[in-house]
Amino acid sequence: MLTEKLQIRYPTGTNVIRIEPHPWDVMLRHALDCYPRECCGIMLGTLQDGDERTVTTAIACRNSYEGDQSDRFELDPKDQLAAQRLAREQKLEVLGFFHSHPDCDSYFSATDLANSWPWYSNVVISIVGGALNRAKAFRANETQTESTEEILTWPQS
Amino acid sequence: MATILIPTPLRQYAGGQSSVDATGSSVSEVLASLTSQHPALKNHLYNDEGRLRSFVNIYVNDEDIRYLDKEKTAVAAADTLSIVPSIAGGAA
Repeated sequence: MLTEKLQIRYPTGTNVIRIEPHPWDVMLRHALDCYPRECCGIMLGTLQDGDERTVTTAIACRNSYEGDQSDRFELDPKDQLAAQRLAREQKLEVLGFFHSHPDCDSYFSATDLANSWPWYSNVVISIVGGALNRAKAFRANETQTESTEEILTWPQS
Repeated sequence: MATILIPTPLRQYAGGQSSVDATGSSVSEVLASLTSQHPALKNHLYNDEGRLRSFVNIYVNDEDIRYLDKEKTAVAAADTLSIVPSIAGGAA
């Protein structure tokens, strides 16, 4: 039936993260507004079927890195405290974080990996010349020695 | 008893719980109570020297203990402790 919802089945063990339109708008706008500096923020949402993630809320945060922000970011822990509280109130989970790479591709750098936490999704938005290039999502392993790419979908992706 | 809020990545080491009640009158005592209930958390909160890991922030209610009395910060029974991950990075 044409109205039947398309069910996409991914292999067991594949990490999937889907971003709804409104949070994607928040993330992309923040990345563009901060260009040519890196932006950062927090993603809240739901978990289905064990570990399939849907981002329903994105919070644009201040980059608190004290230095050249063209290739570095730091989240203010106070923003995370507030996000944890909002997640509890709205019965959501803090699913992870996003940041931009101005005039660089979307990859999980050694700096990203070393300063990440396991379990969380990390969306990296590549902005080249002030426009969206691409976005990818990554997850660090338990020892933060390597990361795996997640299947990321967003509107128009 | 104080309440400790556990961030999602650490819940697997805390019996799947999002919050744990723990006894103690200081942050160090409350965290010791937490890790005695859930020993698997210890490696994730403390380094080999027994100090809180640098990428772990502890808040008592709305205050970061680094700006209070660190792990000696007093905790009352009605207080809530939050474990907040440090997150940073960048293309460099």
